[in-house]
Amino acid sequence: MNETAPVQSQGFYAEEMTISVGPQHPSTHGVLRFVVKTDGEVINEAIPDVGYLHRSIEKIGEKVTWHGYVPYTDRADYLAAMFANQVFCMAAEKLAGTEVTRRGEFCRVIACELNRIASHLISVGTFGQDIGAMTPFVHALRERETINNLMEEICGARLTYNYIRIGGVGYDILPETCTRITEFLDHFEPIVDEFNRLLSNNKIFIERLAGVAVISKEDAFSYNLVGPNLRGCGIKWDIRRDIPYSVYPELEFEVPVGTGQVGTLGDSYDRYWVRIRELQESCKILRQCLKMFPKGPAIAKVPRKFKPPVGECYARVEAPRGDMGFYVVSDGSEYPYRVRIRTGSFTAMSIIDKLSKGIMVADLIALIGSLDVDAPEIDR
Amino acid sequence: MAPLAAQSRANRMKRIEEMSLWERLYFPEVIRGLTVTGYRFWRNLIVHTLHKLGLARKVQAAITVQYPDERAPYPDTFRGRHRLTLKDDGLVQCTACFLCATACPAECIYIEAGEYPDNPVEKYPIRYEIDTLRCIYCGFCVEACPCDAIRMDTGTHPGNLGFSRKDFVENKEVLMQRSRELAEKGKEGLYEEYVKPYRHV
Amino acid sequence: MQAYIDQLIRDGYFAGMPKEVVYAVAMVLAAFIVLSVFVAPLAGVTSWLERRVWARMQSRVGPNRVGPQGILQWLADGIKNLLKEDLIPSAADAKLFSLAPYVVFVGFLCAFVVIPFGSQLIVADLNIGILYILAVTSLVVVGILMAGWSSNNKWSLLGGMRSAAQIVSYEIPAGLSILTIVFLAGTMSMQGIIKAQGWAPWDWFLFNNPFTFAAFFLYFTAALAEGNRTPFDIPEAESELVAGYVTEYSGMRFLFFFFAEWGNLYVIGAVATTLFLGGWQVPPVTSDPILLGVLQFVVFFLKAYLWVFIAMWVRATLPRVRVDQLMALCWKYMVPLSFLCLLGTICWMLVFPKGNQIFSVAMFVLGLLIVAYFFKRVVFQIRHARPELYFKPHI
Repeated sequence: MNETAPVQSQGFYAEEMTISVGPQHPSTHGVLRFVVKTDGEVINEAIPDVGYLHRSIEKIGEKVTWHGYVPYTDRADYLAAMFANQVFCMAAEKLAGTEVTRRGEFCRVIACELNRIASHLISVGTFGQDIGAMTPFVHALRERETINNLMEEICGARLTYNYIRIGGVGYDILPETCTRITEFLDHFEPIVDEFNRLLSNNKIFIERLAGVAVISKEDAFSYNLVGPNLRGCGIKWDIRRDIPYSVYPELEFEVPVGTGQVGTLGDSYDRYWVRIRELQESCKILRQCLKMFPKGPAIAKVPRKFKPPVGECYARVEAPRGDMGFYVVSDGSEYPYRVRIRTGSFTAMSIIDKLSKGIMVADLIALIGSLDVDAPEIDR
Repeated sequence: MAPLAAQSRANRMKRIEEMSLWERLYFPEVIRGLTVTGYRFWRNLIVHTLHKLGLARKVQAAITVQYPDERAPYPDTFRGRHRLTLKDDGLVQCTACFLCATACPAECIYIEAGEYPDNPVEKYPIRYEIDTLRCIYCGFCVEACPCDAIRMDTGTHPGNLGFSRKDFVENKEVLMQRSRELAEKGKEGLYEEYVKPYRHV
Repeated sequence: MQAYIDQLIRDGYFAGMPKEVVYAVAMVLAAFIVLSVFVAPLAGVTSWLERRVWARMQSRVGPNRVGPQGILQWLADGIKNLLKEDLIPSAADAKLFSLAPYVVFVGFLCAFVVIPFGSQLIVADLNIGILYILAVTSLVVVGILMAGWSSNNKWSLLGGMRSAAQIVSYEIPAGLSILTIVFLAGTMSMQGIIKAQGWAPWDWFLFNNPFTFAAFFLYFTAALAEGNRTPFDIPEAESELVAGYVTEYSGMRFLFFFFAEWGNLYVIGAVATTLFLGGWQVPPVTSDPILLGVLQFVVFFLKAYLWVFIAMWVRATLPRVRVDQLMALCWKYMVPLSFLCLLGTICWMLVFPKGNQIFSVAMFVLGLLIVAYFFKRVVFQIRHARPELYFKPHI
């Protein structure tokens, strides 16, 4: 850690300093680590070091039954557990040809969109805290707490939901819960405006983010960015819209993209702003779902010993951190033969090295926050 | 410093719509942010003071729940600690069919089946143990059970049961006792008992 | 106080002791009493108040367990930190490492010497009072730099370096803003500056002319930066530099830094009050010297604490600026603006040698209008937050 090498910068020699950012650093959410080489405050190189939160979720998939793997998918990204549930179930259903009940699909979308709001609230809140604003974080968590209460009502847990099952959902959403969700939406939509007044429009906040760590469209493609990070570069790509699944084709929503409104297209502020806009879009989707909520069973009849035919399949959903995919292989037995998870944060992590050249230490923190990388999702 | 300079040149602020002078000044937006926090401050201060005076109880100020003293209500779906339900004669309802143990993704349920001497139809568990250190509280055992013998409706959290791994294994007696206590005290009473040691510390 | 000790010596209480020793002992004793009775509780209560104010702004409760409404929390924290092990990293420069907190502490404590809490309530009315404050508060930067360097930690070093650059730079706008007032008052003595103002708001230097009005905000911003407060808390920026220069500190030494920070907050408020807000000036309601003294103290204390509160408010709201933006703000905007304020004030003094009462009143009305607009925004906030839905618990 203490090796020093002279680097040439603008005609004079400066000594390079190696700093280890993380794994115990306040702003590397979870346990990320970056080996940062700096020239004073300016970063020459930031090498991501992943693997501190590896729990071998993929390997566990080969050792538990198809049904039994669902609670483990919760842990793949614990801030957005619902999406991993859904995508695994979608993969299993695709293999076995199981038809999901219509009410089950709506339950899934409602739960997922609530979860998306919760996840984005964490993202924008902690981002504010990374930039140094204390209050937005707590305000965001306050709203998330209400969502947690709702989730607890829907599925009995606050973080690791284990809600979505192969063939539908575990528990039906009751009418009183629907009323509570509507109440929450009525309350939450103005809160987003308040959040904007508090943080998004703040001049200091804008100056910290505008034009910082700009990702060009080409880079976004070549580094395989997904989700809000990709949309922040101005590319309209949303799995919900482009490879529709569940009941999303029936719902009306916009796909917010970055416009470079305060700086350059694809800067940190655009990525942040896409998330704020997605909060509003999720509210819109939730309202439509609650209006269209059909009657019927919430789960299809699925045998307890679930044995999909031999084959392989890949399912993907639009998770808060982008395209989340499960590749599953079945050998016709009770246990999956292979499970492979593809997450958005992992690819987002790879671009940090490129973007961090020449930015300052404070910008690196903003960059990590704006990419919304999430340690459990990276390491799995 | 060359890379920084190069980058800031490349990323020269380029705006789609020009900010007005009003927006470009620091103060208006800063003050707008201050009003948000100011509003929360005064509102919460007044409501808290009213609460102290015993007024406006229905108005909520802080979202915080002062945990051991008060608590947020749990919904019925809450997955709490397990219990083994009892038959009318006080015997365990479980028939040791192993469905829960099979469904358990964490493999934390251990059952040893035995037979009633006077009842050739049903079996019963001699040992029924849940290793709460392994349990992930997914609720699959409850869903798997065909005769409603195991439930998670006690409304209490998994707590600290001891200081060695052995202490965290809940055996049949503990799980049945929980059923009896629930019948005796109800959900609220059970929770009260659970919280009591944490109060007034 | 000297008169009182002279009286005691004359009464023969300290027979046989040299006069100088008596003075020295008395000074140490007085300093100790002031420190333990006034400054320590002030910093402590400020820390508690800050946490409570933040909690209110964030819809939390804040510390409420120790004492009524948690008001003794600072005492509990102090005792806890006192009982903690005093860790010095083995690779640290032990001498500098242990000395640094005291340098910081002394830097802010010395400032209390010239703060005028009342017309009689001042330790020493130096004729260079304001210059003295600038000088001793600059001592803080030495302590922070020592802490950053001696910790042998890269985060600490970065924090220390940032702090040095920041505090030294912001001394200039702060000093220039103070200079405008020194020009107006014609004296550097703290009491002299207060006496040059009146009790009425339009007699304050704040509303004397538009340039002093601007200078006040420049001073307050620069002072926040000097005190390492958000939005300028880059030396300890906990989300970037872990804890900056205090990363390696623990126990009582750690506490000293924060003790100094919260105490310094009050010093900022007190200096702002003295220079711009008329200090302890009260309307002539009574001639009883003790009652008047109490009234003056209360007025001064509240005025100063208002700015402490505003600093807390700002800290709860604003994000942190980046280090290059911080320097740009100082050198590109604040230094030229404070020069402008200085020149403007000089011109104003040439044009209106006796001051302009009408203009001062107009400025005061303008200030009130700004506050009114602010409250209008708060009302807008209330209307748009739809609190009736927020009131429902556990929706």
